[in-house]
Amino acid sequence: MMPPRKVVETNKLSRVFKNGEIAVRALTDIDMVVNEGDFVAIMGASGSGKSTLLHIVGCLDRPTSGVYKLDNVLVNDLDKNQLADIRNQKIGFIFQSYNLLSRTTALENVELPLIYNRTGQFSNSKELAIKALGQVGLSDRIYHKTNELSGGEQQRVAIARALVNNPTLILADEPTGNLDSKSSFDIADLFVQLNNEGKTIVMITHELEIAQFAKRMIFLRDGSILTDKPIEKRNTKERALRALEKPYEFENDGV
Amino acid sequence: MRRLLKIFKVSFRSINKNRTRSLLTVLGIIIGVAAVIMTISAGEGATMQVQNQISGLGTNLLMIQTKIEHKAGINVRMGRPIDKKDFEILQKNAVWMPKISPMLAIGAQAIGPSGYKSTMVYGVAFDYFYISSRELQSGSFFTEDDVKSAKKYCVIGETIREELFPGEDPIGKQIRINKIPFTVVGLLKEEGSGGMQDMDDIILAPYTTIRNRLYGRQRGYTMIVGSALSEDHIVDAEQEATELLRESHRIKETDDDDFEIMTQIELQEITSNITGILTILMGAIASISLIVGGIGIMNIMLVSVTERTREIGTRLAIGARQSDILTQFLIEAIVLSLSGGVLGVALGVLGNQIIYKATGFFIPTAIYSIMIGFGFSALVGVAFGYFPARKAAKLNPIDALRYE
Repeated sequence: MMPPRKVVETNKLSRVFKNGEIAVRALTDIDMVVNEGDFVAIMGASGSGKSTLLHIVGCLDRPTSGVYKLDNVLVNDLDKNQLADIRNQKIGFIFQSYNLLSRTTALENVELPLIYNRTGQFSNSKELAIKALGQVGLSDRIYHKTNELSGGEQQRVAIARALVNNPTLILADEPTGNLDSKSSFDIADLFVQLNNEGKTIVMITHELEIAQFAKRMIFLRDGSILTDKPIEKRNTKERALRALEKPYEFENDGV
Repeated sequence: MRRLLKIFKVSFRSINKNRTRSLLTVLGIIIGVAAVIMTISAGEGATMQVQNQISGLGTNLLMIQTKIEHKAGINVRMGRPIDKKDFEILQKNAVWMPKISPMLAIGAQAIGPSGYKSTMVYGVAFDYFYISSRELQSGSFFTEDDVKSAKKYCVIGETIREELFPGEDPIGKQIRINKIPFTVVGLLKEEGSGGMQDMDDIILAPYTTIRNRLYGRQRGYTMIVGSALSEDHIVDAEQEATELLRESHRIKETDDDDFEIMTQIELQEITSNITGILTILMGAIASISLIVGGIGIMNIMLVSVTERTREIGTRLAIGARQSDILTQFLIEAIVLSLSGGVLGVALGVLGNQIIYKATGFFIPTAIYSIMIGFGFSALVGVAFGYFPARKAAKLNPIDALRYE
């Protein structure tokens, strides 16, 4: 059997923020591999370095030391334009507050990454955007403007935007942070579906029941990986909804 | 190219989203461009009017007078005055200048039956009417014989008639010029006022009469005016007159002329220089308002960049290059200023029309003023849009995404 393709591979990855004389170590010696088809949840308290890690993995930031390879491309050496292009071609971002363009249709929002694509392979951007909206179940909301959509729907638009360029890696930064429980589970369930279709997903969250939708959980503390375990009993939408009605019966045996 | 087109679309959309603000931002440019167009056009209009007036001075006109030099701020007559002898020589010998007349100008008080007026009285020969191409609305010119016999006849302009004979026919009536009685024989057609001087505030009389009765002990003539055979021969006439007068005045080869010949063409050149400078000056003042408008654009663009920090962060995160963001904001600024330019051109042209309708002062909208106004507004867009656009492009995506 062929070894699985490594989408993310870090080796002794560190990030130090220098603020004048004070140096803050945000990440220390992170060794992490995410294979194709994986669904990783990254948890940790605020200040544990999970956002910094996501920024580096998302090619928005560069490590102070250590090696980061995205899809076998050594990111350390890339210049700003190459970073922009790699973000455009290999990564789909999903943010906590959706970050959609206001008063703009879902379709136009989803098309946005393709505007900046320089490979010229997406000449049919409109069709691709419609397809991506279909994938997230918003086929009937294509021409709705963002302010006419609910929070959950807006996040779906954002997910469609992250899918439209067929990225190697989907990065979600607290994707359910602004949503109510039910919408949160819908979104988490959507991630599971996309993962089942072969998408590689890395998701930051601080909600355990959301993290448990993933296949694997990495727990960060003070900039280092504390635990990195597969999740044995993955959460599902049905179970999560049931647990919502009877909170005391929630099974906490995944960690 | 497709990408640029899409970025264009993005820029348009964001302008459209903030319509009221965009319009207010553009207002500065609109007013600036309109001001530039209107001032330059007004300058052009004034130039045109002055030029018309100069060509109205006469037919292929030449003016010959004693050289005047400025010494310590005082006008000093150099050499001998232009006089009867010069006139006779030119009249006899000048081939290219068939029509010629002395001119004796004096300021005088004219008194009529119903009023009086200080005015300029010009003593001229019969040919002057041809040279000056003035026409009559009633009466007749004084004749060559009248000039010879120094008749106390005069021809008056409309302004004089209004002051001296309000609501009356002046022909055949008497007026007093510096206490000397003259009979009005003709009334000049209105030349129209405005511009440099009132062409109708004028009295013409035989130069012989003026010299005998009013000119006192002054030597010579104020000037000699002549008309060249045709427009093509103005230069020939000037050269010929120069040679004749140099000979007559016995000026050595190496010495300068002691007289000056001014032609209509030179006069036009001089005035067009002056009005040209004036136009440039006014246009420059107007363009300051364009710069102020540009600062307005910069201001709003900076606000817009700050407001849309998150959006910029998102765009950067999903793979926009810095240059894409720069282009987007630059296009926004340019589109704003150019649409201001278009509206400004419209307003300027409309303004010219309104002024024309209201005051009758015709302002030809100069094509180049439109180009200046429009080009300048584009320049303002680039110049003042660049700084905010660069600020947007240089944002750190992480900080921009976090920005609240």
